[in-house]
Amino acid sequence: MLKKSKKLITMILGVAVLTSIFVGCSGSKKAADGKVEISWMCYGQPQETKVYEQVIKKFEEKYPNVKVKLVSTTQDQYGQKIQAAMASNTMSDVVYMGPGDVKAWTNAGKMLKMTEYLDKAEKDGILKLDDIWEKGLAKYKYDGTKIGQGDIYALPKDIGPFGFGYNKTLFEKKGIPLPDKTKPYTWDQFIDVCKKLTNDTGGDDATFGTGLNVQWSLPAFVFSNGADWLNDDATKVTITDPKFEESLQFFADQTLKYKITPSSEQGQTLDTYQRWLKGQLGFFATAPWDIAAFESLPFEYDIIPWPAGSTGQTASWLGSVGFGVAANTKHPQEATNLAIFLSTDKDANKMVSDQQIQVPNIKSMAKTDYLNASNKPANKQAFIDLIEKYGKPLPGERTYNAEWYNKYLEGIQDVLDGKITAKDYCEKVQPEMQKLLDDSIAKEAKEKTK
Amino acid sequence: MHELLLTFATKILKSKKIIGGENMAAKIKIKSKSDYYARERKAGYLFVLAPVLQFFIFALVPLLISLYAGFTDWSTIGKPSFTGIENFVKMTQDPHFWKALFNTAFMMIGIPIRLVLALMLALAMNRKIFGAKTFRVLYYIPVISSIAAISILWRWVYNGDYGLLNQVLSIVGVKGPNWLTNEATVKPAIIAMAVWQDLGMSMLLYLAGIQSIPKDYNEAAQIDGANTFQIFKNITVPMLKPVTFYMVITGIIGGSQMFIQQNLMTDNGGTNYSAATIVYYLWDKAFKQYQMGYACAVGWILAIIIFAVTYFQFKNSSNELFEE
Amino acid sequence: MVNNETKLKYTANTNRKLAGRRKKTRIINTIIFLALLAGSLVMIVPLVWMVSTSVKDKMQVFAMPPVWIPTNISWSKYSEIWEKGPLLSGIVNSLTIGVTVTVVGTFTSSLAAFAFAKLHFPHKNKLFLALLGTMMIPFAIIMIPQFIIFSKIGWVDSLLPLIVPGLFGNVGMIFFLRQYMQGIPTELIEAARLDGCSFFKIFYRIIFPLAGPAISAQIILWFMGCWNDYLGPAVYINTPEKMPIQLVIASFNSTYAIQTDYPLIMAAAVVSMLPILIVFIVFQKWIIESVAISGVKG
Repeated sequence: MLKKSKKLITMILGVAVLTSIFVGCSGSKKAADGKVEISWMCYGQPQETKVYEQVIKKFEEKYPNVKVKLVSTTQDQYGQKIQAAMASNTMSDVVYMGPGDVKAWTNAGKMLKMTEYLDKAEKDGILKLDDIWEKGLAKYKYDGTKIGQGDIYALPKDIGPFGFGYNKTLFEKKGIPLPDKTKPYTWDQFIDVCKKLTNDTGGDDATFGTGLNVQWSLPAFVFSNGADWLNDDATKVTITDPKFEESLQFFADQTLKYKITPSSEQGQTLDTYQRWLKGQLGFFATAPWDIAAFESLPFEYDIIPWPAGSTGQTASWLGSVGFGVAANTKHPQEATNLAIFLSTDKDANKMVSDQQIQVPNIKSMAKTDYLNASNKPANKQAFIDLIEKYGKPLPGERTYNAEWYNKYLEGIQDVLDGKITAKDYCEKVQPEMQKLLDDSIAKEAKEKTK
Repeated sequence: MHELLLTFATKILKSKKIIGGENMAAKIKIKSKSDYYARERKAGYLFVLAPVLQFFIFALVPLLISLYAGFTDWSTIGKPSFTGIENFVKMTQDPHFWKALFNTAFMMIGIPIRLVLALMLALAMNRKIFGAKTFRVLYYIPVISSIAAISILWRWVYNGDYGLLNQVLSIVGVKGPNWLTNEATVKPAIIAMAVWQDLGMSMLLYLAGIQSIPKDYNEAAQIDGANTFQIFKNITVPMLKPVTFYMVITGIIGGSQMFIQQNLMTDNGGTNYSAATIVYYLWDKAFKQYQMGYACAVGWILAIIIFAVTYFQFKNSSNELFEE
Repeated sequence: MVNNETKLKYTANTNRKLAGRRKKTRIINTIIFLALLAGSLVMIVPLVWMVSTSVKDKMQVFAMPPVWIPTNISWSKYSEIWEKGPLLSGIVNSLTIGVTVTVVGTFTSSLAAFAFAKLHFPHKNKLFLALLGTMMIPFAIIMIPQFIIFSKIGWVDSLLPLIVPGLFGNVGMIFFLRQYMQGIPTELIEAARLDGCSFFKIFYRIIFPLAGPAISAQIILWFMGCWNDYLGPAVYINTPEKMPIQLVIASFNSTYAIQTDYPLIMAAAVVSMLPILIVFIVFQKWIIESVAISGVKG
């Protein structure tokens, strides 16, 4: 009897001892020697994080009374992690915020209105707001109703234009005149060129005009045709607009009718990407984050504007993520300064863009150093044009949540397979999408009143 | 049969001086019958103390919070406010919920498939086959492979044009579909992958179970003239019932919580929501659509369903498994 | 009375029967061997794929048709993984969690399983079902309340939330061991009890050894669960040096699939498989040998 309980007691004691050791070791949070300590939660590959550690060192040199603690996680767990932090009031001072989260996070009162701290920074000369790309900044402006205007809640980490590339070598091989650097094709011209590029031998030497993924490439066609998934204030789903249906049908017809692409299923996998890498495609979507991978392509390539629909103007979407500040931070000015530094400091921009090949956030730097750099692609102006003039937000970014948009994506394969026309599909799915959008708007309104 | 086992066991235990022997009898005086039962009760409670504590400290509070949350409109990052049974009503009206429930139930088909294959494998491994030990390790490799590797691998296997599966099929002249984007084939494809991944583990558990069946039973039966199949049917399978029962229950519980595979193999739950499981559905609601309250309601409904099914299984199985 | 001649005839008959049976067994065994061989090829495909990918260059990863033997074999990733991320600390952390949890937790779990299987006390089955019930709640919905609790006691960014709960036991293991232990004859326990053994001694010297195969099988399962755990660490760990292995590997992923360094991830995954493989090889031997040691199986 004694022996048994002795064993149990020893075990419990042992656990208690272990626990206390660990607790003792698990880092207390007092800031040493009177410095202000702020934390920054980010995700990224270890080499990206290493670059950011360098950037932090530079920041600490500039602001000697501030110490920065880096909190890292993986990209796909970031959402859960930050929501857990929000729920338990343990957010880091500076956090990544995606454009699609702006409404939800600000409505819940979790994000700091940076305006007054940005103003002070400008007065101190460490920030020039109008040297940041407007469209990038607009993604993080919110006035309580509409994204794009109002108070600023984050500064961009990067602004990524989803551009259009072409295979120069293939064009020359087929004797087709090269596309214009600034003037986009019309849709008819685009199909004509693609037909000339297409030679489906069924073997490894087959060539196609292009092979695009509907989720990422359709926006370019829809936007340039004067349509969108939502109306201006993001309250109505507008996919039954004939211009939208026309764009979707045109996209599907690239495979079904004009046969300038490999099969539609391949657009969903990475097969078309592989074909592009091998030089089998005339055109392919190209964004700044692809450039590193395209260093060793076996052909010459360059960037051009996306083909333009009825508006005659090219268009595409801009990807981005921003540096925001937690609303309950104890050091709002320091945290804002860190966000400013990460987003707009010249050296930081250079370090980070050298590493990831992004377009710099600072207009002046982008239009000089970046544009004139000798590395590929040659026509970087096309990227800059998208950022400055022609880029629009992705549909899911403008609403409280993207359930309505996911509904649209659910059955889109049937349109691409030709099982249903674009018109019929849009008419069928729009009411369901509208209901989901209405639900999310109602939810948003409710959250705001809390 | 029990006597055989008992005799053998007693022999060993006596040899190890654990039981038997006159010197032990005097050591602990058992005063009376009720004293005996009291000791047993005390021991029982003491032994289960740890998991019960675990339940109370780490599980009970979060469970109660999530139960309450099911009746609110908690948006994960905002403040919850009570909404009564609104979530549950919404659930019944959401086609995605029913579709996900159906998909999840469909996935259960993998359980009998896995059990049969695992049993066959375990029986094979139990024989004196050349290289059995190596085979055991090889069959276990999928179990310990990283989920990242497995999902890339299987996405390639199932690829519509160049995938391994379709390449093999084309040898016999069959053109396979794009397994993961085709509504009808995506669930069987994921089931196949899940069975393949788990097979080694189930095989191992069955092996442990088979090893616990005394060889004398088989030998005695053989001498009595039973053939292999009869031995299998009348000795092996019944003696493995506890293990089978365990695998069915954990298969149901685990299978109903499947969602990582769906996440990695399909986008948005598959074409026309053909692959989404119920946990995929509620994970999405909780963390992407900021509807944690609703997700909690769904989670509890799921738990109730599983509990009912499990309880039913317990009641239905033979009495030994659930003696009072 | 059985005289010697009958005995010899009987033995000869039996020998002939056994010899015939042995030949049949050998044929069956050969067939089984070939089937197992074919099956094992299917089973090792992921390992082969992982190693093959780890020596490719980035772009060949997605090549269709897939490349099994890359044109340029480069083992550089295997040295890169140690520098590119905290892989070593990742392994150490995962080992710390896995070993601590399984050693202590096995003890608590098997003790509880014994009680559920063989002891009698009121509400036993209700308790058991309640514990079982905890497995039925999806982790997603208790994740945030648990996190709030742990953050209030200051355990965030430490390995504690990943270790301490496990020390108290694992319901899956308890369940399996309970089933297994129910097969152990109760007479053994009664005999030992009458001889004056305390329940703990019965557990320690009878039940635990007899349940060796089952415990070994479950240890493998549990250790692996700890090793592959990814959701828990992602939420609780903030510092790269405290990350367990799967989190380190996952952090090699990039925002854009194009940029993800798959060869690097595969190299890390191959390296991370080794400890589990060792655990498996060690414990699966115990499953067989512990049975032999207890001597019950002849």
